Amino acid sequence: MSLASAGKMGGWGRMTGVFLWWVLAHFTTCTAQESKTPREVVAEAAVLMDVDQQKTLVETLATANADEVVPLLTKWKESEIFQYQDAAGNNLAVLIDGEADGDEKFALVALATGKPVTADDGKPVRVSKDDLSVADTDSSLRRVMKGVTDRLALSSPDVAKRMRAVQDTGLEQDIAKLPLLEQLAATEKNGKVKAALAEAIAFLKLHSEDVAVREAAVTDLGKMASIGAKDVIKATRDEAEKAGQASLVTACDKAQADIASHVSFVNSAGTLFRGLSLGSVLLVVAIGLAITFGLMGVINMAHGELIVVGAYTTYLIQNFFAAGIHMSPFGIPVNIPGLNLTGNAWSLYFLVAIPASFLAAAGVGLLLERGIIRFLYKRPLESLLATWGVSMVLQQLFRLIFGANNVQVDSPAYLSGNWTVNDIVFGWNRVFVIGFAVLIIFLTWATLNKTSLGLLIRAVMQNRGMAACMGIRTERVNMMTFAFGSGLAGLAGAFLSQLGNVGPNLGQNYIVDSFMTVVVGGVGNIFGTVISALGIGMADQSLQQILRDPVTGKILVLGAIILFLQWKPSGLFATRSRSLD
Amino acid sequence: MNTSLNGKVPTIALAAIALFLVVGMPVLNASGGVTDFTLNTWGKYLCYAILAISVDLLWGYTGLLCLGQSLFFALGGYMLGMHLMLMIGPDPVYKSALPDFMDFMGRKELPGFWEPFHSFPFAALMIFLMPGLLAGIFGYLAFRSRIKGVYFSILTQALTYGAALMFFRNELFMGGNNGFTDFRSILGADVRSPETKRMLYIASAITLTLVFVFCKWLTTSRYGLIQRAIRDSENRVLFSGYSAANFKLFVFVISAMIAAIGGALYVPQVGIINPSEMMTEKSLEAVVWVAVGGRGTLIGPIIGAILVNFLKSWATTKFPDFWLIIMGGSFVLVVLFLPKGIVGIPAQIREIMARRQGIKAAAAEEALLTSAAKTK
Repeated sequence: MSLASAGKMGGWGRMTGVFLWWVLAHFTTCTAQESKTPREVVAEAAVLMDVDQQKTLVETLATANADEVVPLLTKWKESEIFQYQDAAGNNLAVLIDGEADGDEKFALVALATGKPVTADDGKPVRVSKDDLSVADTDSSLRRVMKGVTDRLALSSPDVAKRMRAVQDTGLEQDIAKLPLLEQLAATEKNGKVKAALAEAIAFLKLHSEDVAVREAAVTDLGKMASIGAKDVIKATRDEAEKAGQASLVTACDKAQADIASHVSFVNSAGTLFRGLSLGSVLLVVAIGLAITFGLMGVINMAHGELIVVGAYTTYLIQNFFAAGIHMSPFGIPVNIPGLNLTGNAWSLYFLVAIPASFLAAAGVGLLLERGIIRFLYKRPLESLLATWGVSMVLQQLFRLIFGANNVQVDSPAYLSGNWTVNDIVFGWNRVFVIGFAVLIIFLTWATLNKTSLGLLIRAVMQNRGMAACMGIRTERVNMMTFAFGSGLAGLAGAFLSQLGNVGPNLGQNYIVDSFMTVVVGGVGNIFGTVISALGIGMADQSLQQILRDPVTGKILVLGAIILFLQWKPSGLFATRSRSLD
Repeated sequence: MNTSLNGKVPTIALAAIALFLVVGMPVLNASGGVTDFTLNTWGKYLCYAILAISVDLLWGYTGLLCLGQSLFFALGGYMLGMHLMLMIGPDPVYKSALPDFMDFMGRKELPGFWEPFHSFPFAALMIFLMPGLLAGIFGYLAFRSRIKGVYFSILTQALTYGAALMFFRNELFMGGNNGFTDFRSILGADVRSPETKRMLYIASAITLTLVFVFCKWLTTSRYGLIQRAIRDSENRVLFSGYSAANFKLFVFVISAMIAAIGGALYVPQVGIINPSEMMTEKSLEAVVWVAVGGRGTLIGPIIGAILVNFLKSWATTKFPDFWLIIMGGSFVLVVLFLPKGIVGIPAQIREIMARRQGIKAAAAEEALLTSAAKTK
């Protein structure tokens, strides 16, 4: 595998000798190619005159490293490999290196070594295209190449790539690939790929001439509950019906029924999962409101804008981790150099963005409480009006600072992508939102029940006057509680930035939902908010699944909530109180 | 809250203002003193004032903050809009008498529920009936289970949101998100001609006056007394043997109908109605007009509606980038510093003066006492 040994190789005759030796080795032990890189093999093959020899040589590449082989073969196919005869008369496979100079002459790179081709005096050779001839391929050679690349993909060490190749081969429905797949299936270790191979094999067998094989394949596909096979089985059934093959028709019917029941299982499981994740989104969005509205009784119409503060904070942190922050709000240029991170290091931005969003929104909430809300604790409906004014101001400020259009927040790698179990797709971001919701609930619960601040919060919320009499600084507790609730809104914003667009109106889309969630749960009861968020999320997704129409589903959910409040006017978990008015 | 300006403004002054709005403005317009545009703008303001009164009847007098008044306003507009759509006549492109959006959807005949809207009296009846019915059903459900205060506000917000989502859909055959537009004629007159616009303005001014007089009568009657008692302490009203729910339901339906008339007059004047008119923000705006003008007075909402919309028109043209900030900021300031609104300013000043004098008097008295003690 050394370039040095390849460099020493000289004449045509010697190469042929090596080749013959190699052919022998190939037919005996298949170890020969270990001593040669794919570059060398291709370089050898490209200058051969005999197509059959070329094919044999190319076929040996089928067990080499795909990342090296595929680009080389592509170059060959696209006529980018040339033959060049050097001063000694040796035929070399070369690549053109760089642009043509003034005399239309090019520098060359030897394919086998990757080094510039030099003349005897050590200077790089420059030739015009007329001195080169393209290393030709004919259709039969190209077919062999295709076979090699396919096979390489099918045995790629990367499970995901191998999986995709197997699935593609199945969909190609080329019966000629069957032996190859069967051979691979015998050696495959990975369970998932093995299953995919079995499916692909069954797919190919559907095109078999033998009715019994076809029937077995259909039965297999039914057992595997292959969703992708639905159409092919239907086609097979139609054909079988025409040909009067009764048992094959029955097998197809059975398989179709199996697949249909699997599909409905997958759909229900998917709905359940989406309902759970939507419920978690609602929960994350509403939990801050459960504190500011539920516990404190402040109708904060600017809650949505606090969410947006969190989302924009995430956006800024993301940019800071990348190329930096370059904006000019109100015509004042702001240029903060970024860390210029990429890949995994950049992905860490989200872990920084989560606490930053909490702090940013909590800060805005603190200002809001000090500036406006503390004067309105006894007038909840007026707090609604004032905070609505605040929400208008904030929305416009967002527009002036970040522009009226949505900004781009990219998900880190660990949040994009998904995880498929038994055909049920679990998007990582949705899995994450569920975990995030659980974490937030736990932290909120712990803050309220396990910290001294929580004790103070509960005391002040239950009876402000009495708490004040006991020497609690209720003003301060109000301030902290409101900031905490606002911070939770910021967390929601950080999260929503991963699920969709971030723009000035982001918060408005969630404000009605979050108020409904809190009201249905029973104001002042965090646990009620959890249950109601999950319930509303589930109901919404199930209705969407049944009606296949998100808007009607949403309208029905709103109607159902109004009716639900007939039955339980103060929500799921009413806070009991003896006081009137 | 009758202690504010409302009770002190002589009836003659109110009548003079009403006369100026109903007769003076149109005459000035006809003689060229007021442009058609100004008159039209004022027509819109007066419709907003009707909406504001309906909000005040609920919020200021009964203590129910409804965030769905814009829904009733828009519903009223839609009901008249359906009639106006049918009056457009055959379309030159599609060569059919169907409203454009139905042609566009490939519909060949009018949906059944559109049919009766060919008749103006029917449409006029529906302006009252539909919003009244919706308010009746929703109010019955809400008040029966004793939903009040903040919860009532949030539920009406949800109702409005749901209705807007529904009207955004094309399947409802109400024009989807484009709504109704391109009206041609109303009662045989060209909607776009200055004369018709003047008539519509006069109708708005008269309706506003009538609504004002009706609400004045309602709120000063025995009924209004109970209404205010519910606002101040619902439980005591209940314990006194009144059915608070029925009173609330009645006033809710009445205010929905008032809002709907406002909407019905508004639509031919602006020439368009679409679901964005029924979003919660619009309801909130109406609530803000009331808060700015002074709630619990009937003149306050009118002043608030006109003033805020005037400010809005001015700010949107002068400071397009900052008008939201100006508006939002002024709401905050009004809520914080003018709890009784503009109408309450004189009373607020008197109160401050009285408090100052009280402090002065107390200080003088104390000085007197200390000097008396010293002489002893």
